[in-house]
Amino acid sequence: MGEMVTRTLRLMSPPDTVDTVHDLLDSTWEAVPDLHMRDRMALDTAIIELAANVIQHANRGRPITATLTIIAFTDRIEATLSDSGEIGEVDIEGRTMPEADELAESGRGIALMKALVDTVEHRRVDGFNHWTLVRAREQVRIPDAPPKHMPSVSISGIIDEMARQRALEEMGILDTPPEDRFDRVTRLAKQLFGVDGAMINLIDGDRQWAKSVAGNGPEEMPRSASVCAVTIEDERTLVVPNLFENPELRDKAVADELVFYAGHPLHAPGGERIGALCVYDGSPRTFSEREQEMLRDLADWVQQELTASHELSRAAEVQQGLLPQSLISMPGWDIAGMCLPARAVGGDFYDWYPVGEGAAITLADTMGKGIGSAIIAATVRAVLRSAARFGDVAGAVDLAAASLNADLDTTGLFVTLLHGRLDMDTGEFTYVDAGHGLTVVARRDGTIERLRSSTPPLGVDLDTEWQSSSVTLNPGDVLITASDGLLDLYDGTLDALDKIGALALLASTSSEVTDAVRTRARGVAPDDVTVVVVRRDG
Amino acid sequence: MDISTTQHGNGVTEIGVTGRLNMVTAARVRDAIQTAVESNHPRVAVDLSGVLFLDSSGLGALIAGLKTAREAGGDVRLVRPTEQVELVLDLTNMGTVLKSFDSVESAYPHG
Repeated sequence: MGEMVTRTLRLMSPPDTVDTVHDLLDSTWEAVPDLHMRDRMALDTAIIELAANVIQHANRGRPITATLTIIAFTDRIEATLSDSGEIGEVDIEGRTMPEADELAESGRGIALMKALVDTVEHRRVDGFNHWTLVRAREQVRIPDAPPKHMPSVSISGIIDEMARQRALEEMGILDTPPEDRFDRVTRLAKQLFGVDGAMINLIDGDRQWAKSVAGNGPEEMPRSASVCAVTIEDERTLVVPNLFENPELRDKAVADELVFYAGHPLHAPGGERIGALCVYDGSPRTFSEREQEMLRDLADWVQQELTASHELSRAAEVQQGLLPQSLISMPGWDIAGMCLPARAVGGDFYDWYPVGEGAAITLADTMGKGIGSAIIAATVRAVLRSAARFGDVAGAVDLAAASLNADLDTTGLFVTLLHGRLDMDTGEFTYVDAGHGLTVVARRDGTIERLRSSTPPLGVDLDTEWQSSSVTLNPGDVLITASDGLLDLYDGTLDALDKIGALALLASTSSEVTDAVRTRARGVAPDDVTVVVVRRDG
Repeated sequence: MDISTTQHGNGVTEIGVTGRLNMVTAARVRDAIQTAVESNHPRVAVDLSGVLFLDSSGLGALIAGLKTAREAGGDVRLVRPTEQVELVLDLTNMGTVLKSFDSVESAYPHG
């Protein structure tokens, strides 16, 4: 590629303006031998347009920092401007030059750039915009040829790789144990094509790591030896009947083990190519159009599994974020909660927050498991939180039920609920138990009292009259409320509540109790498990 | 950027610009044309022989001036644009609307 000249400028606007960029350009061009006047003029104009565009629009008038890097190769010049602006997607393709007679005063910037250079690209990575311009130098330019897309070889390649790596890491799949939902696909591929092996390979930094192997492929190998690393450079299916006969891939062939290869790229949810589904064989073979189609279908399947697990883990994060994280100040009281969904997300939740002089405490269990229940659970939480600001406990549940009834009726779901308010001075806990019935008070003297459920769950009977009951917690007493998933951890009967009550009296803090349940539930709970423990010091 | 306005006896306003005509300086050029139009001299010749660089913001200012001048029965014509300015006029197809001449006299030959 010959000698290369690189210049980088850090731009802060204000006070910097496009004039600062002009100065950098002038000093850069001095260092580039044989720069043709036309190249210089075109690049100056395009880069200044870009800088002006970023300074004017990218941050809606707020200060902006940007880095401009110019690399002059002997055959091309590449410029990348990376800025901290908020601009999202940019439709470069769709920006055409306004008609002259319309006399538009603006809107020409991007169209002008496109006319001046061969490539205008925009990428958004990690909250930064990366704009790349590439112009083939006059020395290699074909006279009168229209601009032709010229992929940037330096900067955007690095940016792409960064984006790819980050997307892969965000999926949280690297170095996880084998999973049947992926192994099913590789087993099927191996059988279907009658090959030695099939793999789902992910390209991570300088290594290839296999999420699934059917056959005798390696779980890990250097990226430099990987054929899938070549597959992910493009969108197409890579088919190599005989690696030994391919000059570029010959060095990756292994006699009797890896001679035939076919692979199709796999994408992260954002579209980055993170790996490939491949099949391979120790002998050369052909791979028909129809077989390629089947491989693509299987790759789509893997893709869906990858995406589904990614979206679910995001949803799980969001749902955990809705649980009360920090303790509200409750002098003389100790409160702890835990919620362990059976799947990534669940229909249980607990909540507490200050209301007036006391604290509102909720535990709810939406019928069912998984995403549908989780959506309803989030709605119930929000509605109860706003209703709790008005009136007493029964009034709050009444208001919440009235808003939720239509939704619950439509979805055919119902919700069991304990919602109460604790007076921290007197220890009086006033509550509505809507079909829940899984609350006990463990008294200091060792007796366990179960709180009665007097009303049906939300969503069952629209005309329910919500009535509150109350119980007083004395120093040393503990209130425990749980979802029915807790029962399954013991013998499946309500006796489980008595056991937890006894445990709570032995424990010195509320979180000791929730930790014990969490340990017991991990990995074995068939249903969502949720527990809230409220202890009065004494 | 420097900007100077000369009023010719035949009613033509000559605006001479030197330096870069970009987003930093565009508003001043637009204002200079506006001022000429408001003082009832809407026939404007912008001398660009000293402008080594024009970007789309600068071009926008010339177009804004052109619209103002035309509404008042005048025009904006360019005098001796440099190579880079011609490139921009050419690629944006605005050269057909903002016409270029060798001198102020040839821009408005009939005075």
